[in-house]
Amino acid sequence: MTQTATTFRRMKDLPSTHLLGTGTPMCAGCGGLEALHQIYDVLGEKTVFVNAAGCMTLLSVYPFTPFRGSWLYTAMASAPAGAQGIRDALDILREKKGLPPEEDLEVVVLTGDGAAYGMGLSATSGAMERDLDFIYICYDNEGYGNTGQQYSGATPHAARTATSKGAHGFAGYKKDLFSIWAAHRPTYVATVIGAEPLDLARKIETARDLEGPRLIIALAPCPTGWDYDPRESVAIGKLAVRTGVWPLKEYRDGRIQHTRVPRERVPVEEYLKKQGRFAHLFEPERDETLLQELQAKVDAYWDSVEVQGG
Amino acid sequence: MYRIRFHGRGGQGMKTASRILGSAFFEAGYEVQDAPRYGAERRGAPIFAYVRAAREPINERGIIQRPDLVIVADDTLVAVPAAGVLAGVSARSVLLINSRDAAEVWRHRLNIDGPIVTLPVNTGVEDRAELPWIGASCAGAAARLVGVLPRQALVHAIETELGGLGDDVVGHNLENALAAWELMAPQYGLASEGGEPRAQEYQRPDWADLAFETARISAPTIYAAANSVEVRTGLWRTLRPVIDYSRCNRCWWVCSTFCPDGAISVDKDGQPRIDYDHCKGCMVCVAQCPPHAIAAVPEHQAQAEEAQPADIPGDPP
Ligand SMILES: Cc1ncc(C[n+]2csc(CCOP(=O)(O)OP(=O)(O)O)c2C)c(N)n1
Ligand code: SF4
Repeated sequence: MTQTATTFRRMKDLPSTHLLGTGTPMCAGCGGLEALHQIYDVLGEKTVFVNAAGCMTLLSVYPFTPFRGSWLYTAMASAPAGAQGIRDALDILREKKGLPPEEDLEVVVLTGDGAAYGMGLSATSGAMERDLDFIYICYDNEGYGNTGQQYSGATPHAARTATSKGAHGFAGYKKDLFSIWAAHRPTYVATVIGAEPLDLARKIETARDLEGPRLIIALAPCPTGWDYDPRESVAIGKLAVRTGVWPLKEYRDGRIQHTRVPRERVPVEEYLKKQGRFAHLFEPERDETLLQELQAKVDAYWDSVEVQGG
Repeated sequence: MYRIRFHGRGGQGMKTASRILGSAFFEAGYEVQDAPRYGAERRGAPIFAYVRAAREPINERGIIQRPDLVIVADDTLVAVPAAGVLAGVSARSVLLINSRDAAEVWRHRLNIDGPIVTLPVNTGVEDRAELPWIGASCAGAAARLVGVLPRQALVHAIETELGGLGDDVVGHNLENALAAWELMAPQYGLASEGGEPRAQEYQRPDWADLAFETARISAPTIYAAANSVEVRTGLWRTLRPVIDYSRCNRCWWVCSTFCPDGAISVDKDGQPRIDYDHCKGCMVCVAQCPPHAIAAVPEHQAQAEEAQPADIPGDPP
């Protein structure tokens, strides 16, 4: 893997002033907003955000916006198509109207997992097929957060959602969006999380300095949808990584690299225990079968990573 | 018709409270409407829920403008303009405030003549794990205040509405709701039904008429950068993070990076500074600070301390 020199070598190198405006209507403790403010600090203000319907639509409610550049709202399935329109317009301005390169903007799609893993997948596939020069940020709160946490294609097995309330929670399995995206062979795909800011900053820096389709999935602990005290957002995010539930990795030049391999993985139940959406796995009695199944899936993932050597 | 309005913060279970009360009315044979109002704001922000109950079919719709009973789950909301707690309150509206302060204190503070009742449960919000239980207490208290609901209707409503969440949750909610029910015994029937509004009393809502305009004007563009700072989300806070600078290691990259809202900046000496106009009080910084230099202080306590005149040594008394 070609390791480009990074400005983010230590935590100290992270930005100490923040570009994204405060005063947004996201929930107190929102893990998606945490990731977004870190991402925005690295991408900078020469960006246009294209936002599909979801929690983050509420960032820019007239007459307020936390962004320093433009923002466009699209229907849930069509943010990558909106990005294509903006990219084309910018290209025309550059070619025909003499827009100087330093005034060019980076087009950034911002959607939840409902759009990214489901409704918007076809539009994203098309954008990659056309080799669109854009960045896609999916904040993955594992459900339709804005409308009350119904399940989505990103909901993990056994989680309780507004539409999976039975004794065993959600019967389906989280889609592997990273692999689906990487199978299109775009320029760059990465997973990040706000609880690991250095890893996040390096990956956003990498994405920023490349061209073509660059897609990022940020696991977004969601106090409201996952049912935990907002103060736990970062602790839960760190556990997602240390238990191996959320592998931090990147795809580039046809290869997948894990940027953090938790050598001694914390048992998955430490992560599950902290969230009300998994409470039925522990009360009124432990659901040994489901707990073992969830652990086994994570173990199998990391076994296969070791076989592939990284 | 009873017109009942709930005020709380996202996360305090006001939607559930309104459903419990609505179901209790329904059990008792009433026609019922219960609905939360969804706004752009989330956990921590002001939330509204409404219950209408009548013996006749209900033709009224929408938000409740003239409430017979107003329930305030969190007394810090009274001072928040966006919460509109006192909107449409008349001399016959009953105000039920969950507060450690006495009803007399509130009467003086608000300068209103109508009946005020206080319900002292989980005030101060030192332990947010207790927050979701406030809803049941509010529903229990409201059920007693209206004076037409049998205890059994309340019990049934809680069992029906919360049954899916397991016996423990139902048990805990029942306990809280019934405790509040008992507490309100002396005020049984204090809240009465409001009459039907009469056409003569109709007042035009105080909104502005907008002319039909071209798309450029009616689909406006924001030209300002990061003007969301004009919104004071600090008002959502029930707990305040306070840094003890004598213990702070100046590893600002921890709190400043993790703060979801980006409300912690770093001054030129490398000290983190919390922007209380915008900190929503999630307490992520408190949980993550390596030397535990940030304390979670209940907002009411922090405000009371601020209101005290500073003790300057050597100053004349
Ligand atoms: C086609 C369409 N269907 C439904 C909706 C209603 N809707 C608005 S936001 C939302 C949830 C989106 O979920 P997700 O993409 O995961 O984002 P989150 O809300 O979690 O931020 C839904 C269903 C819509 N806007 N468009
Ligand atoms: S519902 Fe979840 S993702 Fe949406 S704003 Fe709230 S915490 Fe963030």
